[in-house]
Amino acid sequence: MEATDRREDFIPAGLASLGIEADEVELAVINAAHQMFWPAIRDLLSLDTSAVEPERSPDLSKAPQP
Amino acid sequence: MKALDLPLREQAAAIASGEVNPAELLDAALARIEKRNPAINAVVETFPERSREMLEAAPAGPLRGVPIVVKDEWPLPWRAQRFGAAELLAPTAPGESGPYRALRDAGATIVGVGNMHELGSSSTGNASVYGPARNPWDSERCPGGSSSGPAAAVAARLVAGAVGADGLGSIRFPAAYCGLTGLKPTFGRSAMAGHHMAAVTTMIVSGPLCPDAADCRLLGSALFGEELAPGGSAGLRIGVVRDTVSEDVSPEVREACEAAVEALRAETGGEIREVSLDGVEPATLAAILAINSESLGGATPERLNHLHPEIGPINRGFLKYRMLLPAAATVQSGRIRTLMRRRLAALFGEVDAIAWPTVPAVAPPLEAPLVELPSGTLTADQANVRGGALANLTGIPAISVPVGISSDGMPIGLQLQAAWGRDELLLDAAEALERANERRWVESLAPLARAGSDPAEVPGA
Repeated sequence: MEATDRREDFIPAGLASLGIEADEVELAVINAAHQMFWPAIRDLLSLDTSAVEPERSPDLSKAPQP
Repeated sequence: MKALDLPLREQAAAIASGEVNPAELLDAALARIEKRNPAINAVVETFPERSREMLEAAPAGPLRGVPIVVKDEWPLPWRAQRFGAAELLAPTAPGESGPYRALRDAGATIVGVGNMHELGSSSTGNASVYGPARNPWDSERCPGGSSSGPAAAVAARLVAGAVGADGLGSIRFPAAYCGLTGLKPTFGRSAMAGHHMAAVTTMIVSGPLCPDAADCRLLGSALFGEELAPGGSAGLRIGVVRDTVSEDVSPEVREACEAAVEALRAETGGEIREVSLDGVEPATLAAILAINSESLGGATPERLNHLHPEIGPINRGFLKYRMLLPAAATVQSGRIRTLMRRRLAALFGEVDAIAWPTVPAVAPPLEAPLVELPSGTLTADQANVRGGALANLTGIPAISVPVGISSDGMPIGLQLQAAWGRDELLLDAAEALERANERRWVESLAPLARAGSDPAEVPGA
């Protein structure tokens, strides 16, 4: 089965699998948020950051260690 | 001029010299809140007896006797924070928060609690359990968020200084919408103890909202627990990024910000350099994911199924949607954070400050917070977060400075960002910018703040 065929199941299936209930208004908000964020999340996940060596316990009050 | 209309530093000096009686100043602030606040809903609670007790016990500190408003994000010894909401997922209780202690030790008087956007979740301030705060420049417009009440309180001159919090731009956005100076400190430099997310957040900081940079320096010094000494900004190297964040903005905002950058260059004898900073867009999403992950504590399905009925529909839906965000995206956000911190570290070897508009358009209507940009119509939140999130993700300090008034009478803000720990430089640069435009914008008053004003005279009131 194509992954795209199940895309619209994500919200109801995800909420149901976590046991989270949502009324009609909440579902409308969730769907709007999903439409807004999901394409950007997919773009974020597709970025190749394998060359970025993570900072170990970064101190955000200071510049990163070289 | 009434003492209450003086800048924070002049109020403090007048009290120290005996020229102004701090008890009378406190009474004047309470009276002004009673008179002006109904039009803007900036202050959601006062506690005159507690304020008087604070004043009576005040040490001879740099803020002795000056009235200050604190955002509903911090507990006080007599009041737990409500975070603008009917219910928080994290436990809260009255207590001595870091900002409370800082203000108390500096001698300040907390005169009231400032409204805020519900759960700190928007740049507009148009939703709160107390009802929305309103912009003193036009009460039908958004004051900005999430530190909506602190900003509106200062813009209406209920007080000359307020403490806000900034997790994705929440001090800088309302500063820009309300014509104030607002400092988002370097992560970790300002008082945070007692915040319900203090132990987990890598994004949120407390900071000052004031009419100008000198007052931010004074109030910021109290919050930092150290003097933010002036050091000058001669020869300032200003980086300008030609990207969505500076290009996809309304023509009036763009013009005012470009003029301000040029004025700052001329005043400091510095230079403007066009610089590239790749990755601002994914960094914005990374910041949104980071703060949403950090605020998931206490969000069990059971709790989410029994949210307080007075929590607004947008937050009800979004609290549940957050549970579906993939962990892989949060991990990726951490790598983007590292990448952007390294890019900024390199960039701050070339320039001292990066300048771009704080928000791409002036304050939109409360009822429909949409903004018209060259790319089309966006929600104010979508548009604003693009310029605000990077500083929180990476930890660098940032400041919003008023640099103009639009043709429809609303303030415009320029944001300056600097390297970690260079908060003082941002204050120096903001003061240089004030000199460059002869303090025209920091001394522009909202209609509600003008002497003798009556709420009925405020547009939209």
